[in-house]
Amino acid sequence: MTIDLGFMWTAFIQLLSAVPVTLLITGVSVVCGFLIGAVIALIRMNRVPILHPIAVSYVTFIRGTPMLVHLLLIYYGLPMLIDAVAKEVGSGFRAASIPMIDFVFLAFSITSSAYMAEVIRSGLLAVDRGQLEAAHSVGMTTMQAMYRIVLPQAFAASLPNLANNVIGMLHGSTLAFTVSVVEIMAKAQIVASTNWKFLESYLAAAVIFWGLTVLIEKATGLLEARVNLYNRGGVA
Amino acid sequence: MIRLSQISKSFGEVQVLKGIDLTVKTGEVVAILGPSGSGKTTLLRCVNYLERPDDGVITIGDFSVRCREVGKRDIHQLRQKSAMVFQHYNLFKHKTALENVMEGLVVVRKTPVDDAKKRSIEFLKKVGLGDKLDSYPSQLSGGQQQRVGIARALALNPEIILFDEPTSALDPELVGEVLEVIREIAKEGITMLIVTHEMGFAKEIANHVLFMDGGNVVEEGSPDDIFNNPKEERTRQFLQRLSREVSTHSSINLVATGDENHG
Amino acid sequence: MAPFDVTYIFLFIPKLLSTIGVTFVIVGGAIVIGVIVGVIVALPRLYHVPVVKRISQVYVSFFRGTPILIQLFLIYYGLPELVQGLGINLSKVPVLYFVVFTYGLNNAAFFSETIRASVTAVDRGQVEAGYSIGMTGWQSLRRIVLPQALGIAVPVAANLVIALLKDTSLAFSLGVMELTGKAQSLGTITQHFIEAYVALAVIYLGVSIALEKLFGVWERRLLRYDLANHRLRDALLWRRASFRRGGDAIGMGKEEMSA
Ligand SMILES: Nc1ncnc2c1ncn2[C@@H]1O[C@H](COP(=O)(O)OP(=O)(O)OP(=O)(O)O)[C@@H](O)[C@H]1O
Ligand SMILES: [Mg+2]
Repeated sequence: MTIDLGFMWTAFIQLLSAVPVTLLITGVSVVCGFLIGAVIALIRMNRVPILHPIAVSYVTFIRGTPMLVHLLLIYYGLPMLIDAVAKEVGSGFRAASIPMIDFVFLAFSITSSAYMAEVIRSGLLAVDRGQLEAAHSVGMTTMQAMYRIVLPQAFAASLPNLANNVIGMLHGSTLAFTVSVVEIMAKAQIVASTNWKFLESYLAAAVIFWGLTVLIEKATGLLEARVNLYNRGGVA
Repeated sequence: MIRLSQISKSFGEVQVLKGIDLTVKTGEVVAILGPSGSGKTTLLRCVNYLERPDDGVITIGDFSVRCREVGKRDIHQLRQKSAMVFQHYNLFKHKTALENVMEGLVVVRKTPVDDAKKRSIEFLKKVGLGDKLDSYPSQLSGGQQQRVGIARALALNPEIILFDEPTSALDPELVGEVLEVIREIAKEGITMLIVTHEMGFAKEIANHVLFMDGGNVVEEGSPDDIFNNPKEERTRQFLQRLSREVSTHSSINLVATGDENHG
Repeated sequence: MAPFDVTYIFLFIPKLLSTIGVTFVIVGGAIVIGVIVGVIVALPRLYHVPVVKRISQVYVSFFRGTPILIQLFLIYYGLPELVQGLGINLSKVPVLYFVVFTYGLNNAAFFSETIRASVTAVDRGQVEAGYSIGMTGWQSLRRIVLPQALGIAVPVAANLVIALLKDTSLAFSLGVMELTGKAQSLGTITQHFIEAYVALAVIYLGVSIALEKLFGVWERRLLRYDLANHRLRDALLWRRASFRRGGDAIGMGKEEMSA
């Protein structure tokens, strides 16, 4: 057994500098993914003509393919598309001037949106129809009923899945290393190969992710306890 | 015959059964009444060893266990002597009505499958479910599920069947069919220990009635003694409250039925 | 990069399919290891074995709490270093073994949670009914609890297997020539990257959909007693919503209720 704890600590400290990039990628993809996902969920639940089948195919495609493939398609495909359009309209703009990390943001937001759409949809479906009717029966408008009755319950119901997806995106953000964005994973690779200490570097990276994940889980737990107050005692 | 002596049971600090003595003679129907939390369910579960008593002796037929020095073998053997009908039916969800009844015969009693099947069909017919053999519990009404539960217990031909409020989870209109089945089997001389809140029913079929409160048997005697001349104040109060509740319940039912007719 | 040409997509698909066996080996191997280790990890928690139960919890927490990519690198580079001190030389072991082993350990964490949660999800009354008709603990486990738990677990496991399939795309980062590795090398050789990745996406999509259908058939068989399809409907909804970790519908990742 040869773990150099001293170096692991050094690696840990060095890796901390990459944590903000990881959190940024995660944050952007979760927030953008949620917004796009909400639109998709609404399209699906209201069965908007034309858009509905498109939304279904979109979700099926994204869920059926690896996150890495989304990233590679965007990374190779989008610049080509942008340059072709720029040439068409006679603009001097070149895709090469776009920072690498923007492709990551876009690709991961797309990945996340498909899962978020399902989270939102299942959260809303989990709310009993009777709740909306009851809200109407006491004279609320549909808007009021949504805000005050349906959404809080839907949120409570989808919280665990939401947290899972945030953790999924956090872990998924490591894929950004394939397009040379220096987040924790890429940094660990650099630290590992420059010092020839692979075990310690990756272990340090693992510890950081482990800590972040546990943090998200604990925070969700606390939030759940608050949000689910009304559910307490129902052991049906 | 079954005999319980000095059965006691605590959950943590709380003593729920404080040395219960009880005898049920073969062919006898004993009803247990008592307010919520008095330990009726716990007592029944102890007989079946779903709950482990802390102390006391349980004797069923010729088999006897001392709760202090009981082994796994003893528990298993004791359980084979009794069967339980649960408040919430507890049918095996992934098995049909017929399979539910056959399960104990085939797996526990090692009855050959063909015989077990014949016997099970016979008992399902007896509880009026000859046409529901292949239905899963999710396809049956509460009353039907409970009747399968009764058939499952009966088929094993146990020394005693334990009923824990067999009708209290049922819609009012389904209570009758289940009580009818229990009434039928009581006539056949099956030994039964029933926890129930159905006073009229207890009065009608029980040979012996126990009133429990706070983990003790407060009073016991013939149905006539208990219902018409209770000696203890607590028994009297309980019976009064129960009859009041029953009348409120039935008036609610009337209103509900009226609603249905309109809607 | 060469200009986009649709015909390359069709050209690439059969070429990629020639490596699908490697992807399946990873998926299959990881399932086998995952189920075996998963059961072993789940047992101490189901039976509340002191100490060992803690170790199980840490195992599950670690493998669920860190990215699979890091696990791959950690085990591929770290394990040989670690066991070197014990006089074991792993430098000749092919990379595919490490990859299968890592995905196996990773899935074991998820499977063990699935097993634990689905066994716990079976109504306590079912076991008691088993006891009440005289069954032994083992009989009621085998005949009552496990069949019902399987019905609850399979939809979650389906989710895990499909996620595993997609995760195997990361094996390329250690140089394994599975689907994604092959797509990358085709892209590099021909400079038709986009076509290669579109072809790759098509194949993953096809396999995912096929797996989903197969599991669907199995689930319906297992849950045929659940005629109102409550479990099935819930499982499907939750499964679609969950990214990787799956199974919150049955309380995965939650601490067990006090026994
Ligand atoms: N598993 C348990 N752990 C802790 N306390 C328990 C447990 N089971 C029962 N109790 C307690 O034991 C007491 C007796 O419960 P029991 O269920 O036997 O009452 P009961 O007479 O059947 O009531 P009811 O008419 O409501 O069914 C109650 O105070 C209950 O809270
Ligand atoms: Mg009770």
